[in-house]
Amino acid sequence: MKAILASLLLIFAAEGPLADPKEEARAQDLMREIRCVACENEPISNSGSDIAADMRERVREMVADGQSNEEIRGWFAERYGDFVLFRPPSRGLGGMLLWASPFIFLIAGGVLAFTISRNRRPRTDIPAVAPEEES
Amino acid sequence: MIEAGHFAAFLALALSFLQAGQGLLGQRKAAGLSALIAFGAMAFSFLTLIVAFATSDFSVQLVAANSHTLKPFVYKIAGTWGNHEGSMALWCLVGIGFGAAGARFLSTGRPVFEARALGVQGVLNAGALAYLLLASSPFTRLDPAPLQGAGLNPLLQDPALAAHPPMLYLGYVGYSFVFALAAAGLIEGRIDRVWARTARIWALAAFVPLTLGIALGSYWAYYELGWGGWWFWDPVENASLMPWLLGAALMHSVIVTEKRGSFGVWTSLLAVLAFCFSMLGAFLVRSGVLTSVHAFAIDPLRGSLLLAGLLVFGGAALLLFALRASKLAAGPDWTTASREGALMGNNLVLVVATATVLLGTLFPLIAEATGETISVGEPYFNLTFTPIMSLALISLPVVQAWSWGKADLSSIWKFAAAFAGIVAIFWLAGIGPFDIPLLAGVGLAIAVWLIGGAAFELWRRAKTRQRLPQMPARVWGMTLAHAGLGLFVLGAVLETSGRTHTTIALQEGQSTSVAGWQLTLDDVESIEGPNWYAERASLTARHGGTVASMTPHKRFYPAAQMPTTETAIHKTGLSDLYVALGDGRRNQQGETRWTFEVFLNPLIDLIYLGTIFIALGAGLCVFGRRKHTATEAA
Repeated sequence: MKAILASLLLIFAAEGPLADPKEEARAQDLMREIRCVACENEPISNSGSDIAADMRERVREMVADGQSNEEIRGWFAERYGDFVLFRPPSRGLGGMLLWASPFIFLIAGGVLAFTISRNRRPRTDIPAVAPEEES
Repeated sequence: MIEAGHFAAFLALALSFLQAGQGLLGQRKAAGLSALIAFGAMAFSFLTLIVAFATSDFSVQLVAANSHTLKPFVYKIAGTWGNHEGSMALWCLVGIGFGAAGARFLSTGRPVFEARALGVQGVLNAGALAYLLLASSPFTRLDPAPLQGAGLNPLLQDPALAAHPPMLYLGYVGYSFVFALAAAGLIEGRIDRVWARTARIWALAAFVPLTLGIALGSYWAYYELGWGGWWFWDPVENASLMPWLLGAALMHSVIVTEKRGSFGVWTSLLAVLAFCFSMLGAFLVRSGVLTSVHAFAIDPLRGSLLLAGLLVFGGAALLLFALRASKLAAGPDWTTASREGALMGNNLVLVVATATVLLGTLFPLIAEATGETISVGEPYFNLTFTPIMSLALISLPVVQAWSWGKADLSSIWKFAAAFAGIVAIFWLAGIGPFDIPLLAGVGLAIAVWLIGGAAFELWRRAKTRQRLPQMPARVWGMTLAHAGLGLFVLGAVLETSGRTHTTIALQEGQSTSVAGWQLTLDDVESIEGPNWYAERASLTARHGGTVASMTPHKRFYPAAQMPTTETAIHKTGLSDLYVALGDGRRNQQGETRWTFEVFLNPLIDLIYLGTIFIALGAGLCVFGRRKHTATEAA
């Protein structure tokens, strides 16, 4: 009985998870995206620093408050700058370049590769050689 | 003793210059001999460093700065390469070692080509040695010698991390020899089947240790940092991933050159780039231009010298490439839907993935130049790198049966239906009895698809069970590596989508339940190790009938004034219960409450098992069908 009481008390004493597991999961996902402002290169989910603990608490409060991920990220970015977001914003030329480039590379590379392979199209019929036949 | 090592390193430098001259002039035997003697000299030089560390000779500045008498013996040895100067000496040793191995084992029947490869390797080695001796000499004496050393970075006092740098360097520097082979082939204007048969072996010889080295680093980060994860998209991790991705592209592209004589231009470009990205990695890690949790041995001057080396070697090779690319021969014709086309697709995805990692890693630097500070982390790579790589993973089981020249596309709808079926099963399971998010469902389907696809291709080639053991080592290697990729994806998806993380606080004697486990804190005591002291918590974890005792500690290394986390991991076979000890806080009643970070990581071992399969598979691919090759060469 005493043990149960003690562990009940703990939920309030420690930096506790939210009661709703769905909300807690959302909060934890956000914590992995927000950078600790006092550390080298760590999200607040990993950092042992006090400020990270405060920031985690803030994330949980805002999640419990029903705020959207967008609003929570926005709040942190406004307070600490874009630096705090591991998911960099896609606005502006830089942001668009950063987010679109991989897909532009892929499409441009794909078109290039397809063109090359079309140009290599044979004039006569080519024999198919199964991979296991050629060595 | 260390002076003898210093002298031997100079001797190795002189011999590397000699090897470069002889090699580039086409003297195969002379260059080979220089390479072998250079290796002897460098091995001796490195041995004197190891001896200085093993005997704690603090009159050597490097030992005084990085070792300690109380350190366990094996870490005294590993301390040799656990610092900037020593690791550069290891880089030189491995580079010269690859040169010597080349001198011993290269037999293409083209002595002038081999001589030039050894010559280029000599140039690369001379550059590395000059950097070692002039800018980061490990051979400096200290007078008067201190009585005690400053100690190794405690994070490095760990078995996985002792083996991590040698493995990683075998990979990074191994690509220097592939680079040398490509440069020699380009000088001759012959990147053909004979060239590819040799280059493929050396590309695999670099890929296998690089894979294992990265896995060791990741495993270390998992249990040592106390964060519960295994990959953090940190710049230093990305620096090792880029040459790995290019190496993976290279070992597929070189097959086309070997079997068909095609893709010579592209394969030689990848061979050059793989080593350029290895040097880029060294530069990023050592220069401190990027903020990283793993950054060590940072020095801007040394960084700029590494960058200069990268620009000189990389620039020269690319210039040579530009001059010769148009002269390289092409193989027989092929259509888009063919084995050639499929491997081109593989290369496209891997190269775009490399570019994405490069962009994400360097973008904060570029933004900083324009006055903005931003961070690029896990969410960015999850939304760019992961879907792009998925394209290659989904198509792999379909295209691996395609023929050279022209593929038979008649069964492509069966493949599409099979994949859609697997995805549907995971989605239905996700809606029904299990809680699987839609994207995780696709990830799991890809994993099953890859493993099943690898087995299916092996079966397709063998046709009967009796013929399975007679399948060539390369086919087994391919099967293992592709199945390993599937295991890796399975582990990665399960761990990422299924892990739980809870922070708890307990007093001695208290219990709480976390992730289905009942955790009791029995006591916290102070203990002492050879060169550290620690607070060690003893926990009892209960789950059903299972009882496990777990002892996470927090160590403090007084010599280095640095704390480290020693996590406790209980493996149940299906998941890891992972506990890291946090701070103890005293409340107003004078009772101390200890915080613990508790993770439940489902099937995380699959990530490492998969990686080992990939390395093993790639290793098997080194062995060709000897007899066949011999007759064909003749």
